[in-house]
Amino acid sequence: MIEVRGLTKTFAGRGGLLGHRAVPALREVDLQLPPGGAVSVIGESGCGKTTLGRILCGLESYDSGSLLLDGRDAKELSISERRERFQRIQLIHQDPYSALNPTRTIRQTMLASLRLRASATKRSQAWTERRANELLELVGLDPSYCLPRYPHMLSGGMRQRVVIARALTVDPDALVADEAVAMIDVSLRLGILGILRKLRADLGLSLLFITHDVAAARYVGEDGQLYVLYRGQVVEQGPVDEIVQRPTHPYTQCLLSAIPVMRGLERPGPDRLVPLRPLDDNVEPPGCLLADRCPQAQDDCLLGRPPLVSAGAEGHLHACLHPEARSVVATPEPTGSSTR
Amino acid sequence: MRRRQSRDTASETAAGNEDGFEGLRVRDLTIVYGTEAGELAAVRGVDLDLPAGTITGLVGESGSGKSTLALAMLNAVPSPGRITAGSVTMSGVGDITRLRGRALRQVRGGVLGYVFQASQNSLNPLKRVGAQLLDLARSHGVAQPRLILGEAAKLCERMGLDATRVLSSYQHELSGGMRQRVGIVFALVLNAKVLILDEPTTALDMLSQAAVLEVVREIHAERRLATVIITHDIAVVAEMADRMVVTYAGRVVESGTAGDVLRYAAHPYTKALLRSIPRISGDISAAEPLPGRPPDLASIPTVGCVFRERCPLAMPICSDVDPATVSVGPGHTTACHLAAGPLAVPEQSEEVAG
Repeated sequence: MIEVRGLTKTFAGRGGLLGHRAVPALREVDLQLPPGGAVSVIGESGCGKTTLGRILCGLESYDSGSLLLDGRDAKELSISERRERFQRIQLIHQDPYSALNPTRTIRQTMLASLRLRASATKRSQAWTERRANELLELVGLDPSYCLPRYPHMLSGGMRQRVVIARALTVDPDALVADEAVAMIDVSLRLGILGILRKLRADLGLSLLFITHDVAAARYVGEDGQLYVLYRGQVVEQGPVDEIVQRPTHPYTQCLLSAIPVMRGLERPGPDRLVPLRPLDDNVEPPGCLLADRCPQAQDDCLLGRPPLVSAGAEGHLHACLHPEARSVVATPEPTGSSTR
Repeated sequence: MRRRQSRDTASETAAGNEDGFEGLRVRDLTIVYGTEAGELAAVRGVDLDLPAGTITGLVGESGSGKSTLALAMLNAVPSPGRITAGSVTMSGVGDITRLRGRALRQVRGGVLGYVFQASQNSLNPLKRVGAQLLDLARSHGVAQPRLILGEAAKLCERMGLDATRVLSSYQHELSGGMRQRVGIVFALVLNAKVLILDEPTTALDMLSQAAVLEVVREIHAERRLATVIITHDIAVVAEMADRMVVTYAGRVVESGTAGDVLRYAAHPYTKALLRSIPRISGDISAAEPLPGRPPDLASIPTVGCVFRERCPLAMPICSDVDPATVSVGPGHTTACHLAAGPLAVPEQSEEVAG
């Protein structure tokens, strides 16, 4: 179980257009990732979702709050315990082009990590070769094709599979996938998502899936939770399909309204909202963080920041003073209409 | 069953009549790359109509030749690629593939607006946006270059950008969504008639994507442009486009109104592509991955159907004979042997109808 409580992180000002200013990346985030479970995090660029993933992998510090790994505070672990524990949480990031060393063949990349694993677990060198083959097959690659090749000789989809196979060399129990399919062709995305789905089902891996593709989040973790981050704050959370079908926070509704509708195959949601105007992160509204962009903002939204409270349904929470359930996502056209 | 009226019947009938057509017309275009393995065709025998007032979506995977095709519309295919056959004719300009030097430069960025895939790479990092606009005006012989800034400012405001700030910014000071909009300003500021967008939203998050698409839709309608959106994301095209052209390995495999292609997809590739997209509602497990690898230049078959190696319905004829482009509905065509001869395989008729 990986859990964060009250996690807060502020980046020191790096001098924007208005001079130096601090950028809050996470504001008192609570999140639980149970063993074998899936949590998807959505939000626009700059909402803090990448920072959250990096903190969970032990790659980023945080200002306050706590990160609990199997009930133990990460800050209380010894250095060797920390290293061992964080090794079991592996990060898959967006860009498979920069994640692999271009001067090493896939064999060298895989074996470098497997040799360490072999010596740590007292296994023979012959095991490393066997394991490299096994892992590449697990992610749907042909080892005899991939092993002798360099990363530039593989397609983006194949490279991302290699990155996943390499993450598996250390027998992780959780994966953090940060926009793992954003740079992959739409036609190849499902293959990668299918692997993540399979790893959850077959190996019991838990998955933190950071994305802006909500349909992809449904595919890998329909049984899990969806968290919506806005400027570092969780504004809505709950079971994936509950949030998708009955979002109550206007920000979630705008995000879901922005998903393209496949006209002819789908009908737009009846309450679909217009796109939000661009985020101006130089302005921090005193009350609700969304108040300056919200289509439903009222006067009292500027007074206080709404806390995360129950929205009625089991596990569904929202942080909005004037929540209203809206149906914004497209629904499939009845199948009968697809014959001429 | 009721069918949506095809929007381009007028342009189809005007095929033999150059004067009646307004927009960009590609005929029998072939582009080859000279490689160590000989000349390989990245685009082969492509016909395409981009009429004014229509948004055309050009869908294809990496390696389908879609960006090469788009660059050919500017006669800007990079070496070692070259156009070996066919024409790109624009109403009022003529065959762009025959233009050279100054005449070509006037057309590019003038009547032909092009928005590059990574607009951060198409802006000069050392110059402010405004200064680059002045360069554009000078290189296109605008009499009073400063006037272009006013026009650009209007376009910026139109797109929800703060014009004063944007024009005095360097590209690194703008977000991805803003840069993409600036790219559109550059494409349109000299009154382009044709707008070519190459992967306009690939690097953007979903809110920026929706905002950019909304801007394109509005300006397209306002100026009655001939707009073409080139993308691997069929959902973007499904939301935006009037017409849809599906390419595979440098060939057009299906085209028609967006509604028809989505609803009555005729080519096995289009069907597989549609099945591979996870949807936001309904049974999520209905999505199926597209089998096989995307095409690469070296392994594209030169004879027979280019999709046959990944096609679940491939027949012996597919290896030997190029499928002809046949009509499967008003303004809806496909290049597939199954669609060409439903009598040849009666048990597959369900697949043909989609």
